[in-house]
Amino acid sequence: MSGELAPGVHIIACATVAEELSRLGVARDRMIVLEFGLHMDPDELRKTLQASIDAIEGDDDILLGYGLCSYAVVGLKSRSHRLVIPMVQDCISLFLGSEEARMAMLEKEPGTYFLTKGWIEAPDSAYAEFKRLEERYGEQRARRVARAMLANYTRLALIDTGNYKMDEYRTFARAQAELLGLKFEEIPGSNRLLERMLSGDWDSEFQVVPPAATVAMPYLQGAQPPTP
Amino acid sequence: MGEQLDIVGKAVTDLELEEIEQLVSGALDAGEEPQAVLDAMCAGMGAVGGLFEEGEYFLADLVLAGEVMKDGLKVLEPHLEVDSMGKKGTVVLFTVKGDVHDIGKNLVGTMLSTSGFNVIDLGVDVPKEKVVDAVRDNSAQAVGMSVLLTSMVDSISDVVSALSAAGLRDNVKIAIGGACTTQQLADKMGVDALGRDAVEAVRIFESLCEQ
Repeated sequence: MSGELAPGVHIIACATVAEELSRLGVARDRMIVLEFGLHMDPDELRKTLQASIDAIEGDDDILLGYGLCSYAVVGLKSRSHRLVIPMVQDCISLFLGSEEARMAMLEKEPGTYFLTKGWIEAPDSAYAEFKRLEERYGEQRARRVARAMLANYTRLALIDTGNYKMDEYRTFARAQAELLGLKFEEIPGSNRLLERMLSGDWDSEFQVVPPAATVAMPYLQGAQPPTP
Repeated sequence: MGEQLDIVGKAVTDLELEEIEQLVSGALDAGEEPQAVLDAMCAGMGAVGGLFEEGEYFLADLVLAGEVMKDGLKVLEPHLEVDSMGKKGTVVLFTVKGDVHDIGKNLVGTMLSTSGFNVIDLGVDVPKEKVVDAVRDNSAQAVGMSVLLTSMVDSISDVVSALSAAGLRDNVKIAIGGACTTQQLADKMGVDALGRDAVEAVRIFESLCEQ
């Protein structure tokens, strides 16, 4: 396991990704952790990320614990730091170990709702959202809204990244699947990509952006590096 | 507008899911014209769109309003003339291949049908061939494509190319929407418009179908 973060290197990560990074040995005080719910609004996420980057002094590298996240990372830049970003569509690819693994999963069953410990515990998790709907509308209307929103999902998949005990999360995820009328499955995750990010092993799966340059819009399809 | 119609419209605006079927039945029983009841419901939905734009209503409220419309229409539809909806044009709507996200698309569908469009909703994970067939078979004026996943953006140009190859591109206007769509992407993919939410979508398709 590689949790050895070089001295000086900074990490800005989404709460869900920070959860896994901390299990890989990154101290919480080495990370700037941003709210999970920001992904709902890519422009807002970009602004928050840019502000976090701008607040970091010096010229050490900044690793972003994000995927493209609806292109929220496109357009980011730093005057004095290099930015390192995994070129995957979102955190689910990070938890599964590669963009290829994610695409294979989508191919197999597009209507999959993925969960990890971080996704379950986020204050704005799907379940917390449901509870808020219930408070706002009562149970009947809340269920109707939740079912309408998740109409095309067929499966709820709990990703086992191997970083924590699954029992508690399994029970919770099962109950949630039942509530939403989805079948439950547990699928193996991988720390491969996050470990490569931490160890500085940045090949074509990462965009390394020099100081003053801007994170470019990549096209993922058909440009996948092979999974070792 | 009669009192019964006011009540029906207000029930949609107030998201009265449990009341709507009974209220629609009540209005019909009281002798209101089915088309007038439909207009009242659509006006109520229009007000929901306004409240969303003002920040009074959230996404979940729009979804709930869509469900209220759905329940009301179940009661109303058997009484309606077949061609009473869809005067503004026909729009083929879908989520691209490989993507199942459809909250936004469904809201666009609801807002368009309640604003007078004929909506052909192909659903999610839709192959380009199906889009071409639907555009041809329904002589659609416009296509609305939804995409949320960044890895699926290439599906947009696939559809545009397929429509061109079928000789249909000049007959239809194409709009895209969804979390990962940007103006840059819209320009690159050769589509005609980009929409940010379901209320804006109505204005976009009105303008596209007038051209």
